[in-house]
Amino acid sequence: MPEEMTERLRSEVIEAFHRKDFTTPVIGITGGKGGVGKTTVSINLACALADRGLRVALVDADVDAPNAAILLSMPLKNPLEVNITMPLIDAERCNFCGDCIRACRLNALFMPRGKPPLLLGECNGCEACLLICKVVAIYRGRKPIGSTFLSQMDNLSLFTGALIPGLEESSPVVVAVKERAFAAADQFDIILVDTSPGAHCNVINALKGADKVIAVTEPTPLGAHDLDLILRLLDLLELGGSVMLNRADLPGNKEEISAIAHKHNRVMAPEISMDHMLAMSYAAGVSVVRQYPKAASSKVFHRMAEEIATEYGL
Amino acid sequence: MKEIVIISGKGGVGKSAITASLGFILAQKHRVLLTDTDVDAPNLHLVLGAELLSTQEVAASEKAFIDYKQCSGCMTCIDICRFSSIVAGTEPIIIPYSCEGCGACALSCPEGAIAVRTVVNGRINIFETDNLPLVAGELSIGASSSGRLVDLVKRRARQEGEAAGTEIILTDGPPGIGCPVIAALKGADYALLVTEPSTAALSDLKRVMEVTKHFRTPIGVVLNKGDIHEESRAAIYSFVEKNNFAFLGEIPYDNSIPMAIANAQPVVKAFPDSPSSLLLEKIADTLPGCINSKQ
Repeated sequence: MPEEMTERLRSEVIEAFHRKDFTTPVIGITGGKGGVGKTTVSINLACALADRGLRVALVDADVDAPNAAILLSMPLKNPLEVNITMPLIDAERCNFCGDCIRACRLNALFMPRGKPPLLLGECNGCEACLLICKVVAIYRGRKPIGSTFLSQMDNLSLFTGALIPGLEESSPVVVAVKERAFAAADQFDIILVDTSPGAHCNVINALKGADKVIAVTEPTPLGAHDLDLILRLLDLLELGGSVMLNRADLPGNKEEISAIAHKHNRVMAPEISMDHMLAMSYAAGVSVVRQYPKAASSKVFHRMAEEIATEYGL
Repeated sequence: MKEIVIISGKGGVGKSAITASLGFILAQKHRVLLTDTDVDAPNLHLVLGAELLSTQEVAASEKAFIDYKQCSGCMTCIDICRFSSIVAGTEPIIIPYSCEGCGACALSCPEGAIAVRTVVNGRINIFETDNLPLVAGELSIGASSSGRLVDLVKRRARQEGEAAGTEIILTDGPPGIGCPVIAALKGADYALLVTEPSTAALSDLKRVMEVTKHFRTPIGVVLNKGDIHEESRAAIYSFVEKNNFAFLGEIPYDNSIPMAIANAQPVVKAFPDSPSSLLLEKIADTLPGCINSKQ
């Protein structure tokens, strides 16, 4: 039951989505379905590009379940806290007018009779309560929601975002880890961004500023269904790129994947099958391109790295 | 009516395949209703080969709208927005995909030109197969507020369940640990956590367990594709034992599962004698006891 977005995005919105203030190319790796191999492709492509002598930044923007550091055996280092606004209420100044209670569309504020408001529900830090308060009784506190990290291994820099479990604000952590990497963009020849599964705000924020996207999928009906969803999102955002078939030997329909890619004007990248060496390196927390450079999958990653290097003149 | 939610942290560990099979088995003895709360990428209907009975648009999202007849172009709203969701063209323009609908811009607009309105952000689809009803959410492309859509999907599932005399609601959850996962978990009586033997899956399992602990949801762990990596398998067993978590069973890697998915049937229906089906039967047998006992 395909359902098209009734409105297209305005050109200014598309332009803002593609805006970046540096020239380093940015490639997103996404896929819709979970567990299709986004992180595997990301870390191997990052290593293959780094092995060509390029300065590579890999951004793990799957802040709910960040795994690139594990798959590369790179410990998380250089933490920086990510905060959002938490309203703090000055009981001395509060005149109990209740404006803030009505302004909060998340119903996070509660005012016991004759007492200043309390923050009880989930607050997203929008600051509507601060804006509405006439007696300036609400001021900006900080609420930590996660961390970003920077780990380095030779010429590969890994930026990781991690949401604090139990909290809902994945998107600001995605934005923070992207900003940290993008602020250092001039130090890199290429930036790769590994997204979360799905097709909502986390993924959109992760892909903001990307020049192109590799959509990883598998030949199962589930892979096909979710590929179509993510490609519809990428079409809406006017973000081009390719489709990469992983676990190509799983039971399913490879032609259907090619047909979906074709429908969305995307080329098929070389496919990867489940080779034993790829599985071994995944389990061991190393890239297959470094552990087993002769493996069939390693050859595919090196070829992709070469194509990317050629395309961007690196 | 008891609700079991199936989550994992990591995507692609087999949540939907396991939900479909457990639902199929439990439905032989109980009145079961399935729910798909992975609204970004809903797949349960595909695993079941279910038929769509009805579909309904839902408006579970709010967005700011600017009335350009009143807008003076002062751009105050751009600095106010904490979500960087307004861009400056010749006039301020709301970025619909990241607008949270918080209304801060509306409060700050000197001309009163901005209003927050409810918008359609998805659908609730009703499927059925083998007398097993499925209530599935589906987020529109580029839409937001997946958590609130999940709330509505769960509410609809409970309504349908009440009407049908449902005993068990089995909810297929989204990957991750953020907003839609928390929405899927809220109000559930039991969380079945699916994992697989890899360091990445174990790390994600630990993160999702912190969430279930936060909401005090009783849990049980299922290890899928148990035999793909011995060392990681041992690490998962030792983690579960050390923390005294309930372990419900291990499903071996079994090509019958992807084969069944390719045939649009739960593996317990397509290949009832396969090794994975036998293990899934055992897990399904223990589930009613799990949700009725206090942990």
